Amino acid sequence: MAAKGFNAYKMAQEQFDRIADKLELYEGTRELLRTPMREYHFTVPVKMDDGKVKVFQGYRIQHNDARGPCKGGIRFHPQETADTVRALSMWMTWKCAVADIPLGGGKGGVICDPHDLSEREQERLCRGWIRQIVKNIGPVEDIPAPDVMTTAQHMLWMMDEYEHIAGGKYPGAITGKPVGHGGSLGRTEATGYGVVFILRESLKELDIDISDTTAMIQGFGNVAQHAAELYIEYGGKVLGVSCWDQEDSKAYSYIRKNGIDLEELRGITNRFGSVDKEKAEELGYERLPGDDWIAQEANILIPAALENAITGDNVDWIKPSVKLIVSGANGPITPEAMDVLEGKDIMVIPDFLANAGGVVCSYFEQVQNNTNYYWPKEEVLGKLDDKMTSAFYGVMDLAKRKNIPIQAAAYMIAISRVVDACRMRGWI
Amino acid sequence: MDDKYKDAETRKDNTSRVDHLKERVKELNCIYGITDLVHDTSKPFKEAMQSIVELIPLAWQHSDISEAKIIIDGLEFKTKDYKDTPWTQESKIKWDNKTVGTLRVAYLEEKPKMDEGPFLEGERRLIHAISDLLGKYMIDRGVKDSSLQELGRKKTLHENTDKAQWEVIIDLLMRTDPRMLLRITRKMVYYLYRNENKKITDLMQTVCPIERGPGIPQWCGINMPNPRQDMDTLKRIQKGVFEIARDTLSSEEISEQFQRWLREDKARPLLLASQRAGITLVDITDELNRFYENLGGEKSLAPEDSKAIRTSLLRRFFSERLEFINIAKKFITIDSFIPLLKRVIGPAQGAGKLGGKSSGLFLAKNIIQLELPVEEDTDWISFPKSWYLTSDTMMDLIQYNDLDEVLHLKYLEPEEIQQEMPILEHLFKSAVFSAEIIEGLRRILRDLEGRPIIVRSSSLLEDSFGAAFSGKYKSLFIANIGSEEERLSELMNAIGEVYASTLAPDPIEYRRERGLLDVNEEMGVLIQEVVGTRIGPYYLPAYAGVVFSRNEFQWSPRIRREDGIVRMVTGLGTRAVDRIGNDYPILISPRRPELRVNTTAEERVKYSQRYMDVINMEKGILETVDSIEVFRKYGEDYPCFKDVVSVYKDGGLSPISYLTNLKEEDLVVTFDKLFEKNDFVNRIRWIIDLLEDKLGIPVDVEFASDGEKLYVLQCRPQSQSKEIVRKPVPTDTSEEHKIFSANKYVTTGYIDNIEYVVYVDLQGYEALERREDMYKVAKVVSELNSKLPNRRFILMGPGRWGSRGDIKLGVPVVYRDINNTSLLVEIAREKGGYVPELSFGTHFFQDLVEADIKYLPLYPDNSETLFNERFLKKSPNHLSDILPNREEMEGIVRVIKISKLYKDCTMSVVMDGEKNEALGYIKPADHWEWRSDKLEEIAQDLDAELYGVKAFYVLGSTKDGTAGPGSDIDIIIHFDGDEVQRDKLLSWFKKREKEIMDVSSERAKKISGDLFDIHIITDKDIEKRTSWAAHIDSPYGSAREIPLD
Repeated sequence: MAAKGFNAYKMAQEQFDRIADKLELYEGTRELLRTPMREYHFTVPVKMDDGKVKVFQGYRIQHNDARGPCKGGIRFHPQETADTVRALSMWMTWKCAVADIPLGGGKGGVICDPHDLSEREQERLCRGWIRQIVKNIGPVEDIPAPDVMTTAQHMLWMMDEYEHIAGGKYPGAITGKPVGHGGSLGRTEATGYGVVFILRESLKELDIDISDTTAMIQGFGNVAQHAAELYIEYGGKVLGVSCWDQEDSKAYSYIRKNGIDLEELRGITNRFGSVDKEKAEELGYERLPGDDWIAQEANILIPAALENAITGDNVDWIKPSVKLIVSGANGPITPEAMDVLEGKDIMVIPDFLANAGGVVCSYFEQVQNNTNYYWPKEEVLGKLDDKMTSAFYGVMDLAKRKNIPIQAAAYMIAISRVVDACRMRGWI
Repeated sequence: MDDKYKDAETRKDNTSRVDHLKERVKELNCIYGITDLVHDTSKPFKEAMQSIVELIPLAWQHSDISEAKIIIDGLEFKTKDYKDTPWTQESKIKWDNKTVGTLRVAYLEEKPKMDEGPFLEGERRLIHAISDLLGKYMIDRGVKDSSLQELGRKKTLHENTDKAQWEVIIDLLMRTDPRMLLRITRKMVYYLYRNENKKITDLMQTVCPIERGPGIPQWCGINMPNPRQDMDTLKRIQKGVFEIARDTLSSEEISEQFQRWLREDKARPLLLASQRAGITLVDITDELNRFYENLGGEKSLAPEDSKAIRTSLLRRFFSERLEFINIAKKFITIDSFIPLLKRVIGPAQGAGKLGGKSSGLFLAKNIIQLELPVEEDTDWISFPKSWYLTSDTMMDLIQYNDLDEVLHLKYLEPEEIQQEMPILEHLFKSAVFSAEIIEGLRRILRDLEGRPIIVRSSSLLEDSFGAAFSGKYKSLFIANIGSEEERLSELMNAIGEVYASTLAPDPIEYRRERGLLDVNEEMGVLIQEVVGTRIGPYYLPAYAGVVFSRNEFQWSPRIRREDGIVRMVTGLGTRAVDRIGNDYPILISPRRPELRVNTTAEERVKYSQRYMDVINMEKGILETVDSIEVFRKYGEDYPCFKDVVSVYKDGGLSPISYLTNLKEEDLVVTFDKLFEKNDFVNRIRWIIDLLEDKLGIPVDVEFASDGEKLYVLQCRPQSQSKEIVRKPVPTDTSEEHKIFSANKYVTTGYIDNIEYVVYVDLQGYEALERREDMYKVAKVVSELNSKLPNRRFILMGPGRWGSRGDIKLGVPVVYRDINNTSLLVEIAREKGGYVPELSFGTHFFQDLVEADIKYLPLYPDNSETLFNERFLKKSPNHLSDILPNREEMEGIVRVIKISKLYKDCTMSVVMDGEKNEALGYIKPADHWEWRSDKLEEIAQDLDAELYGVKAFYVLGSTKDGTAGPGSDIDIIIHFDGDEVQRDKLLSWFKKREKEIMDVSSERAKKISGDLFDIHIITDKDIEKRTSWAAHIDSPYGSAREIPLD
């Protein structure tokens, strides 16, 4: 390991330490939560198509399961490091806790590049991974899900192998499965809708009527489109979206002062969220450079595309009209920009709260699997609303009560919930 | 004039030779037929005689008016219309010196006088030979059948029962055709030699001793002399040879060989015709057809003759190139020319060829057809119906329409040509084809009725010079709808446009660069049916594409170059052959189909084909349409629909099922089922393996399928493909000029004129502590990408360019951040004992391929490679010159300006995938060489006579090899013309100067004044030894003469 440089685990630990200081946690508690409870490192031998055997390095890291079975993705990545996975498993613990779902945090994967593997080899790798860890995962212990370079297909192979060994049907052993094969309805909408449930409640806190508000959305993919859909349904007006244009290899912002027509815009958008620029201009959308979405006279900004959308360079472009920023994407605001925003009169909802809709839906998938009863989409989204709303108020109450930034409050709530569970179980 | 005359003479000579040969063939047929009859003892005598008499007239020159009659032993046999005429030839049939009958041949009409009345000398010999044969036959048969019984009995038994058929033939030939007997003798010698017969060796020794002295005749068994030289010796040898044959071989064996040799000999007219230089299309076609009708094809030929004819035919129609002929002669049979020539259209009296594209395809077709395993189902592969316009059709058109002046256009400036293009195209399109060509085109249209046509150029240059003209000339689709007249006019338009494209600026420029400008471009045209089916208003193949036997775009270290690569699309193959930029063909390796470029469903959907090219049969045009809409609308009417399309749902791809509702689902072109079935991949692999093996070089094959069969559309060496020009890694680069080298996962490519290296420092990047700093690096790279000159810089950085998630592993750029670079270098530095895996550009692999951005991985810790870290880390950093507000990033992002370090130099990267070697190096300034090369070119092109130039000298820095970037070129011209010529000469130089400066703009910037400094001297100056003139004969050699062409 390089001594210097960016280390995600170190960063996660430092973040935890800061909160732990505020929470005045005991040394033993800190030590327990700073490190994963269990780590499994193992080899996965795979017979390759050419008959040779290749041995892959697999692992699963379970950070904490005090609140319930661990939950977290499986990554196929050629240069994975244990520290990255440790950090990610810790973040999963906090994410489940802030959403207040009864799950702990975990992460795992295999060091490999799926681009170099045939489909049959990938299947054998998935099955091999399960065989090595089968005793330590499962619907009541640790539930993997898709992550970087893993897909629903990988999850189904894994589930199948698990069921073969376990000798029964255990769809709840893995989430992220396709609908009809144990997957949950509402998964497509979950993250985008979750963002707007939080947005709706935030506006209530700010005492702003949602139907008087305008919003700018960065991105026009799955999350952005569903967020726009629900926001418009609630009476809000989306002034514009920014999206990637594949032809020109750059992003544009499409803006219409009297609001976008979602269906119209969807009609001229391909499946990756690229809007047809000629048609958009014909329909009266103004086409501006990609970053200009930040500098619009809107009340709400929803970065729902990429990491590092709002940075130290562009944070000052934000107009005074903006009252609320809800992070739909992961890490859209750099710490540098965050510092600037804290000095302004803008409410910022952190990503791990705002986009928790995805993990909540995974939880619902598992609940449905375990009861072998599947809910209609409305029921899934209704339950999602309940979960997201109460999670928001949990955080908000603390922030108001202690007058601290929402992001800090969210971490505190999450960590305290885990600490409580550990304490009640008598671990600490 | 003289030459032309001589040509005509030779041609005439040749023609009479061929005529003569045809006569010999007739005689042979006759003798052969009679010998057969004579030996068939089962045939009743009278019947045999009648057959014989009917055979005889066929051997005479005017066989249509020849009749024959045999009177023998009071019996008369004659042809139907026989009557005695004044033009009759007669021979007595004798036995034992007694006349027993007569044989008569009569012409029914008067014919020009020949050797003997209207008869040829050969015919006299023949008639004697036949009557002789008949005499002997009478004895044989007479024993039982006729009153001659008594007469012949004793002698017959004694002499003739053991006289074999072959001996009779020798007797005959001796009288009728000594030359042919000579050939047969020669063959017998070979035959005996082959059986290692000692006697024959001894015999040959006696006539042709091994120790050759000056007095010994210069011929032996191998080089038989012309019989006229020494008849006696020859006869002696013949006798000896056949005696040995009789002693060593069985009579049957000899007879069998004789029959074969006689048959083989009949191909001589074709052999001679095919070897005749410039034989016309109609003559060679006639000759081939005659050969085929008379002899039933190549199987009747001796191997050496068949080879000789094959070779000549290949040379006549395809190529003079030995490499081509050597291979093609193994696969292209004489017989295969017969159907081919039925589809060749051209001036009947012309001698044009078919061109490179046609040759490649025809050869591939013959190889495939020959090698297809017979026992298997061979229905799967096919070739589109093709027609060929010979290369001289273009000249014919030009001359027929008096368009000769267009040929001189090629000497104009590119811009001028560009201006002339529309007029040129119009000229060609409105030109009128001669009647015979139009008739031919009508035949094509009738044959290809009901389906669209593609008109493709088939250039001779492409073939004979090994230069890659692909994509330089046009290929045009026509819908082929409407009345025959409309279709004809469309077809002629297309051909005209293809012809005009030979004179377009791009190919002309290309030819100029390669010194091919003065060769008259002769363009064959290949006219093919378009493979496909009709769906709604569209006509299209189910899928089409191109396969290369070398993969220059390995997306995984597990794929080797030799595994090949397929680029394929639905609809017309145009989108696979060319790079479209914003749309993607499917790429697979035919040997590793399971290792896909894109693995997750999302990637596969992103890099899938969105549009397809089709022919709209209602509008009669080539159109690009939304492929998904076509699938939705026509669904299963689309051929092998389920094989090419998948459904994207819930983040996964699944096959189309019975239940799939096409109107609702998200459809994606994946070819999943097609690849899964294996047939396709195996077949493609079989094709390229076979062609590569037989042709001995990597190939590139275009294919298409109508959903049922796989059609091969084109085959050519891969080295002639557009981008893949292999260059060897230079070996003479000095160590100080080397920047990096590689010996792993190298693909083929060459990048020149690199002005900047953008280097992301490995340790610096590693040491970054915050994610946003890493993103900042990506941002800086992105900004450099838009600031630095397009394709004049390379990017070098740690690990995986375009990392997601763990961005510590590589700079998290996306494709747009790097789309102007010419090369992406990933550096894998050993860390804690292991070498990290590189991405091979997978994060945007297909974007790189479509934009032709090269990729190279470097492993600096490998001791066999070179990595000049000092150059990368210590050279002055120009980052803040280019991005003034990014100074703080100088520790991590380094911009190295090559010309600042090495005056006037650029960097080059040569990657030779074949040898798995790459080198990045500083290319030393070559001002002197460049100038010298340019001068040589000019001297070559200068029309000395026209401009009154007597000699041409260079002096100064260019001559001394000391020229710098700003040097001009000093020239002395020894001039001997008038004022007008002088002006013309100077303006010619001006023009050339401008051309050179335009092409080499980088260099031109450095030259302040004119490139050429021209000093004109005359005879007078030389006499007086004025200052410049003094240089040319200076004892110090201050000027060097450059020879004029």
